[in-house]
Amino acid sequence: MEALDIRDGYGESTAGASQNTLQLIAFSIDEQIYGVEITTVREIRAWNGATPLPNTREYVRGVINLRGTIVPIFDLRARFGDGQTQPTKNHVVVVMSVGEKWIGILVDAVSDILTVSRDDIHTVPEGNSIDTELLNGIVTHESRMVGLIDLHAVVAGAKVDA
Amino acid sequence: MSDLDEFKATYFDECSELLLELEEQFLAIQDGDRDADRLNAVFRAIHSIKGGGGAFGFDALVRFAHSFETLLDYVRDGRVELTEEVVVLCIRSVDLVADFVNAARTGDALPSDYGAAEKASFDALARGEAAESGGGAAAGGGDDDIDEFDIDFTPVAVNLDVNAPLSSVAPSADGASRWRIGFTPYPTLYERANDPLLLFRELSLLGSLTVTPKIENLPDLSGFDPFGVYCSWTIDLVSDRASEEAIREVFEFVDGDCAISIEKLVDAPAPVLDVEPSSEMPSFADLAEEAKAERKFAPTGEPDDLEPAAPMLSLVEALPPASAEDTVSTPMLQSAPLRDNGSDDNAGNGKAMGMQSIRVDLDKVDRVVNMVGELVITQSMLTQQMDDAIRDRYQELVRGIEVLAQTTRGLQDAVMAIRAQPVKSVFSRMPRLVRELAAKTGKKIKLETIGENTEIDKTVIEQLSDPLTHMVRNSADHGIEASDKRIARGKPEIGTIRLSAEQAGGNILIIVEDDGQGINRERVLEIARERGVVGPDQQLTDEQIDNLIFAPGFSTASEVSDISGRGVGMDVVLSNIKKIGGSVHVRSWAGKGTRMTLRLPLTLAVLDVMLVRVAGSPYVIPLSSIVETIQNSRADFGHMPSGGKVLQVRGEYVQVVDLARRFELVSEQADADRFVVLCEAEGNSKIALVVDDIIGQQQVVIKSLEENFERIDGIAGGTILGDGNVALIVDVQSLRSGNAHQNAA
Repeated sequence: MEALDIRDGYGESTAGASQNTLQLIAFSIDEQIYGVEITTVREIRAWNGATPLPNTREYVRGVINLRGTIVPIFDLRARFGDGQTQPTKNHVVVVMSVGEKWIGILVDAVSDILTVSRDDIHTVPEGNSIDTELLNGIVTHESRMVGLIDLHAVVAGAKVDA
Repeated sequence: MSDLDEFKATYFDECSELLLELEEQFLAIQDGDRDADRLNAVFRAIHSIKGGGGAFGFDALVRFAHSFETLLDYVRDGRVELTEEVVVLCIRSVDLVADFVNAARTGDALPSDYGAAEKASFDALARGEAAESGGGAAAGGGDDDIDEFDIDFTPVAVNLDVNAPLSSVAPSADGASRWRIGFTPYPTLYERANDPLLLFRELSLLGSLTVTPKIENLPDLSGFDPFGVYCSWTIDLVSDRASEEAIREVFEFVDGDCAISIEKLVDAPAPVLDVEPSSEMPSFADLAEEAKAERKFAPTGEPDDLEPAAPMLSLVEALPPASAEDTVSTPMLQSAPLRDNGSDDNAGNGKAMGMQSIRVDLDKVDRVVNMVGELVITQSMLTQQMDDAIRDRYQELVRGIEVLAQTTRGLQDAVMAIRAQPVKSVFSRMPRLVRELAAKTGKKIKLETIGENTEIDKTVIEQLSDPLTHMVRNSADHGIEASDKRIARGKPEIGTIRLSAEQAGGNILIIVEDDGQGINRERVLEIARERGVVGPDQQLTDEQIDNLIFAPGFSTASEVSDISGRGVGMDVVLSNIKKIGGSVHVRSWAGKGTRMTLRLPLTLAVLDVMLVRVAGSPYVIPLSSIVETIQNSRADFGHMPSGGKVLQVRGEYVQVVDLARRFELVSEQADADRFVVLCEAEGNSKIALVVDDIIGQQQVVIKSLEENFERIDGIAGGTILGDGNVALIVDVQSLRSGNAHQNAA
């Protein structure tokens, strides 16, 4: 087991979890499960449209009004390069904090809260650069693979430079 | 050392306020108001600056402030007459103190003899020599001045045997008067780090003291609170120069933190010991009275903690009708919260004012402003959703929403009023500027300010300083003529620059007027033609010519001075003012003067916009930049080789930017049904934006995109509409430059 690059607070212990475990919010995109650490999640809301932002990458779905603050929404499927999500009322926005900023990511559904052991986190196999760029690690939960999203990488480079 | 830094920051904040006050007080003094309160106020202000400076080791500042303070002290007790020269010296010295404070803040070193001439003048005046107003006196004096001032200091021995009176000092001279002072400190005195011993020492400078402590209230050790105040003193003072005023002055800095009684004893000096304790302490008696009065609230008269609750409750019950009425009526009364106070109705009770204001972090206020903005939007959303069916069925609900609307508006006004500040904070920098300009140009200029209590949003005030400085400079440099010229023209020798502020509807007008020569239109037009600002055949009205001075790179001064004339300045005024949603207008009368009017929004938090639609999404364009809107079918377009379009409007060709295309969106609107919004960008350049639809005008609260995302080219920010959706604010300026860049590529 290699030491994990400590980013996004994955290295910090969460309240209620012991030193060596991690609590994740798990959500799905096209049947695949991904997770982010539960302490970064601020709220989960149904998709209700967003105002598109000009001159941004296709995975920036626009901005929404979150109680008076403007929050950008990232389409995770589009971020993975699989084309824009055609959102319905059943799609979900997970609002979370990345550093000082709040962002929302558009996913198909939120499935569960998982408690996993840090020791079970695997490094992402070298290969596709999108995978190693966007994932912090892979963890197995009930024999299913859960990809740990690197939120900083999701947000980076969203603007189209002229 | 962040703690120390924090204290320093607070100290510098206070210094800025104190310097403002100093400037203000001295200007009033210069206008002939020799009220003792003003002298006391300036003395206190200098003393505070010196005290804080000493704590942080700003030696140069402290030395200068000390000499200044000494002079002020002498002026205060009449030893130095407050002549015109002294006032002028003082005003100049306030500027110097400001420089010292600034140097301390930035850590810059001032020349070691900085202010030495003024300091020498203080010392000379304090020694009773004539004022050399030019400050030409040799830079004498030195660090030993401080010792010199403190020379008649007499230490007082403190006897810890509490039953004996403190040692009485030298016997009084003939004709001395006797005073009996009762001094009862409150806990606040100690909390503010005052020490009675220092007060006694100060008193001892007036004459000989006999200090008797009163310790009857001292509890036994078990009931002793280490922070409690149990001791008071009776002080007998024998002095040939004490007056009640002089004694009160000693206690000036603990005013409000202690009870003082001063009594002049007429009879012959007698031993101090047989003092009647109870009569010596009216303050305690007062306190007891107060305590008794408070106890009346409890009907049983017992100190039972639970009892007083009953009458309190009945009080609260009695209140609601009145307060409900208040909520309904006050918002209507307060529709103009940022009013001009007009006169100084707060002047004179400076001490009380200090207690009535608190320092709050601006972030906290902004959070409230934001939340109230949300409330306003939510409330208007609710109101919009009420249709006639609802009105008929739920009358109570409708009434409730109407009250909510009024209360919300009142709350918004009240919150904006918190952010509002008098323009005084900007205006008060101008007298110094004018003094310096007058000195540099050799002109005689006087500055008048009117309406300086007019209040504007803090952010607007911050943006106001630079433009105003440029405008006043311009007036002093280009407007006001030299004295001989003025006399030759039959004008008063001294030129006047008048600075005024007033509220006009939802705007604040700031007017800079001078009685100078006015704008030289021929010269302006000539230069404008020379520089290509105006075409050779273009005919301009007088007013258009006057406003040319705001064009970028424009300056009429034939020689470049270090005051103004580099051609930067007036265009900075325009762009700064536009940035905060304001406008500038200039009018000039040949030989009579120039008037420049700044029109500013009351607040930056709310922006007047036009709501438009582009490819199905809402966008807003600041109303202040819109010149006119034209239906596409009526617009006169020309085609360019690049495939782009230009709009011909009143003999001008204006670049056309299709917002949908620019933002890489797809418009489904038929071209003929779209609209052109003609906007004015920085420096009078125009740009025509093509949008799908115009929805209407409204006020919006500006929100940052950068807070959670990043800056986007062509977008100045976002806002939240009544339906809860986000609309983007179009950045007209960056669209123009961005487009030029594209064309060039």
